[in-house]
Amino acid sequence: MFGIFTYRKPLNFIIALNLLAYSVMFCNLKPYKVETLYFGLGIIFMICTAYFIILKTKLGDEYLFLIVSMLISLGITMIYRLDNNTGIKQAIWTAIGIVLFFAVCQTFRLLKIWDKLAVYYMVASVFLFLITLLLGRNINGATNWIVIGKLSFQPLEISKILYILFLACYFKKPDQLFFNGAKFDETKRIKLNKLVLVLFTFINIFFLMLQREWGSILLISFIYIIILYVFGNDVIFFLCNILMTIPVALFGYYFVHHIKVRIDTWLNPWADIAGKGYQITQSLFAICSGGYFGTGLGLGRPDMVPAVNTDFIFSAICEEMGILTGVAVILLYMLLTYRGLKIVMKVKMKFYKVLSLGITTMLGLQTFIIIGGVIKLIPLTGITLPYISYGGSSLVSSFIILGILQAISKEDYVEADGGEVDEGE
Amino acid sequence: MGIITLLVNFIFVLVIYCFIFSVIRLIYMDIKSMSYYRTNGSGNFPYLKLINQREMLNYKVEETYSLAKESTIGRKDKNNIVIKDPYISGFHAQISIKEGNYYIKDLGSKNGTFVNDKPLKNGHEWRLSNGDKIRMGQVEFLFVDVINGK
Repeated sequence: MFGIFTYRKPLNFIIALNLLAYSVMFCNLKPYKVETLYFGLGIIFMICTAYFIILKTKLGDEYLFLIVSMLISLGITMIYRLDNNTGIKQAIWTAIGIVLFFAVCQTFRLLKIWDKLAVYYMVASVFLFLITLLLGRNINGATNWIVIGKLSFQPLEISKILYILFLACYFKKPDQLFFNGAKFDETKRIKLNKLVLVLFTFINIFFLMLQREWGSILLISFIYIIILYVFGNDVIFFLCNILMTIPVALFGYYFVHHIKVRIDTWLNPWADIAGKGYQITQSLFAICSGGYFGTGLGLGRPDMVPAVNTDFIFSAICEEMGILTGVAVILLYMLLTYRGLKIVMKVKMKFYKVLSLGITTMLGLQTFIIIGGVIKLIPLTGITLPYISYGGSSLVSSFIILGILQAISKEDYVEADGGEVDEGE
Repeated sequence: MGIITLLVNFIFVLVIYCFIFSVIRLIYMDIKSMSYYRTNGSGNFPYLKLINQREMLNYKVEETYSLAKESTIGRKDKNNIVIKDPYISGFHAQISIKEGNYYIKDLGSKNGTFVNDKPLKNGHEWRLSNGDKIRMGQVEFLFVDVINGK
């Protein structure tokens, strides 16, 4: 029993971090609230249970969940510090996400039909977009939320997963997915397939444009281009796709007022500090007022940054826990991407290869886009930081794709039969 | 009071980085053991097992080399088994398969190939049996063949 407390097991560090964080929060935030400590213990319990379930059932790559639990610890800590109720809601969504993670892990391996459902993915995706347009609620200028009772939900997170699944079905055998029974000859069939691919991508981008989700458009186009580069057969087709993005981008800049505002704010936010540049300047102030080790949990003013729960959670983390913690967060995401890429290379079936590459690219690029936007490296977009930002749909979809990645890694884990080195049990 | 806050913040950041380093360490050890299993896992082919201590050599050598197909051994990258030992020639030796039997032949190396401490004559093919010791340069291998041996 005491073997688990050796200094080498990464889980101990997560437990230590949570204990430290919640005790510091308890001491720093006056009036003293004992619920903070109970909440901290609850989080520790949740993470340990999930980790031991993974270990006992030999669910595959255990490092994925370790890295993610460190990320969610940091996220929940920060959100709980900002607002207790939001923190509790985030913890509940995390619990739901973890349950879904296990569910997806088991069912993904049981049902082997995922690569035959290409048409269903397309139909479901379009259906979700149409529902959002018709029934959606307009929050913050964009119609991309569906509200049922007290729960609000962003369907575009699910659409992103459906799009990656569709790409995986398509590139399992590139350009041979559709029209197999029809009487077209070979070259015509290839052209028609390519047309379907480009058309579906543009339908996605078009609907996202209607929802004013520029970050997601950027994400989907990058995933499309990267997967086309890695798995596509035709170089000319690939170059045509790249060339087509340039007029689309220019069109967006000159004709869509919203994008122009974003790019001007990125280039010089100080010109309009109180108006359009308020978000990004407050974020920069927050990051630099933390110093190397931060002001300490509860002692800074991260609540001065607008939208701090969702987009600018990274600035809040940098303010109260230091720039070094921000760098650590980036390192954690890089480790996650590395593990994902290793799974991509190890897996033998093409469908799983494309699927895991899509998922890894989505995680890595989403992180890059939002952290880059927050530190003024690239223009700000409205996508969430996976596992850390507040948001039920974001957490749920991130855990679903983590479950898929874990299930794919287990496939190969069982075959290799050598497996991971288990340290110091 | 400020000192305590600074210390607590410092410990906080330290814990996160200890976590990152421990995960990296586990991943590194996982990679190190992976290459061993990869060469050994696929079927029951004979293989070459390194006798030297790997840490005593300052170039990269694997613990086992699978001999599922004909292999050439040498310093140049074009070989199947590349060992960057200064005392091994560019193309040092070749292991070929005839009718299920394994033969080793020296390809005109400068320092020679030794099987069970006897030098191979240039161009002469020696039939390998389970337990033979092959020495080239500073490395020494054990030829393990569990199907045809004994």
